[in-house]
Amino acid sequence: MPLDAPEVPGMSGRALTPMFRPDPYLDLTDYEADADLMVLNLGPQHPSTHGVFRIKLVLDGEVIIKAVGYPGYLHRGVEKLCEKLTYSNITPIVDKNDYISPMINEQAVNMAFEAAAGIEVPRRGRWIRTLLAEIQRVASHLIAMGTFTLDIGGAIGGGASMFMWAFRDREMILDLFEDLSGCRFHYNTSCVGGQRHDITTGWEKRAVEVLSIIESRIPEYERFMSENPIFVARTRHIGVLSRDLALELGLGGPIGRASGVDVDLRRDAPYHCYDELDVRVPVMTAGDNEARFLVRVAEVKESIRLAKQLCEGVPEGPICGAKPNIGPATIKIKTGEVYVGVEGPRGELGHYLIAGGPGGKPTMPYRLKIRPPSLHALQCIPYLLPGNNLSDAIAILGSLDPVMGEVDR
Amino acid sequence: MNEAIAPLLGIDVADVSDFGMTVPADKHFALATLLKTSGYGLYVSVIATHFTEQKKSRKVPEPVPEHFQVATVLRKPVKGAALSFSWKVKLDVGQPIDSLVSLFAGADWQEREQYDLVGVTFANHPDLRRLMMPDDWEGHPLRRDYAIDTPHHPWR
Repeated sequence: MPLDAPEVPGMSGRALTPMFRPDPYLDLTDYEADADLMVLNLGPQHPSTHGVFRIKLVLDGEVIIKAVGYPGYLHRGVEKLCEKLTYSNITPIVDKNDYISPMINEQAVNMAFEAAAGIEVPRRGRWIRTLLAEIQRVASHLIAMGTFTLDIGGAIGGGASMFMWAFRDREMILDLFEDLSGCRFHYNTSCVGGQRHDITTGWEKRAVEVLSIIESRIPEYERFMSENPIFVARTRHIGVLSRDLALELGLGGPIGRASGVDVDLRRDAPYHCYDELDVRVPVMTAGDNEARFLVRVAEVKESIRLAKQLCEGVPEGPICGAKPNIGPATIKIKTGEVYVGVEGPRGELGHYLIAGGPGGKPTMPYRLKIRPPSLHALQCIPYLLPGNNLSDAIAILGSLDPVMGEVDR
Repeated sequence: MNEAIAPLLGIDVADVSDFGMTVPADKHFALATLLKTSGYGLYVSVIATHFTEQKKSRKVPEPVPEHFQVATVLRKPVKGAALSFSWKVKLDVGQPIDSLVSLFAGADWQEREQYDLVGVTFANHPDLRRLMMPDDWEGHPLRRDYAIDTPHHPWR
């Protein structure tokens, strides 16, 4: 389903800047000797950095010539902590990594444990996981759309209306999840072997109602954004990421797909129940801010379609394939090494698990490496910002939709 | 694919596997180059692990010296089948491994993070600094012998 940016009447659009790859290790002494350079420190406590992220910008006039990113202000040592916790205790910890889509985080880490332990999840458990993951993707992309407009700021009425609308819609999804698991954010509803909480009577019906409300509002948001001349002027041809660079940086997900990287693990390496579904993946080739936004909008529509389809025929049966995790040390993995990647809302979310082995314990991971898609997304910074105005830096950073909780871990 | 990898590593075609194969450190860069030219162009991750010394005991039949392991994961973005390829390199203490930054720009921060937290040195990395911890931090926190309550200087 190839998409292309809609032509907006009255907007001629800017000339496409030639794609060159800036040198992230640029030596400033090689730059023009008489240039009056200014070093500007952006962040770490800057509202547009979506958390605590610092960028050192070297400016020539108002044009950025070099950008250096400094993550690490939110580093909490999650990987070290996971080495000291039993398998069933890790789920609530990884919830806090990508706090915009915790449901997909906990499913991903439990899939790695299940692969190493050789536990099969029953079909109903996998079905519910698929359903929850798709609803979570809608909520996550709504946040991405809302905060992106807030970053673009004043031009479209402060951007606050779209931000509020997005949070209003997401609130309905959080209510759904609260009914299911008792928590608004950090659900802890996945466990090794399947799901901890079963969906209650009528939950699917309510989910369909909520998704229908959101679906009916999406065209309105689309009109408000992608047909707004000011929005187009701020996003079209700004921050162009080429396909080659997206591949090298390891960007699947909406950012990669906006640049023409046609990969989606739901379709290409199906897990859960995705092999029973027909996942249509939106791909664009423009690679600019606007394309990244439009791909997210198309993914929201696709996720709503999939989630509604999944609400139709939830199969009967057990939801967990292992013994209930009552004690902390019920899951034991003697030895094993696996890599499991799932399609998160920001790209491939992977977990590399080394279990047991000499010197390790069967109840705890020896090493758990989390592959966060946002860290890869932020590596665009030295390549996308140079050549742009300072005001565009904020818009580009917003279009990457990073979550600092999983960047720093 | 496997037919091209086998002569490079000097092993049987049947021994080539796309997950968990151990490769000598001097073949690491050549293997990554070969995979990139064969379509495995999506850089996924690099994972360094510290293994402590294990003396021979009832549970450990063979003594294990202290060593490091660096695993690399690449992906081939094919529509319908996203194949991944992963291999491991075993390193002695202090032995560097070739950096992949010249092949994959995305290896920059990943390798810096592994250098920072685990303490594996990447040769030919253009900018090998700490990524997560402060610049004046002592030690590498993700090593197995680094205790969680190790005293440290207060945050700057």
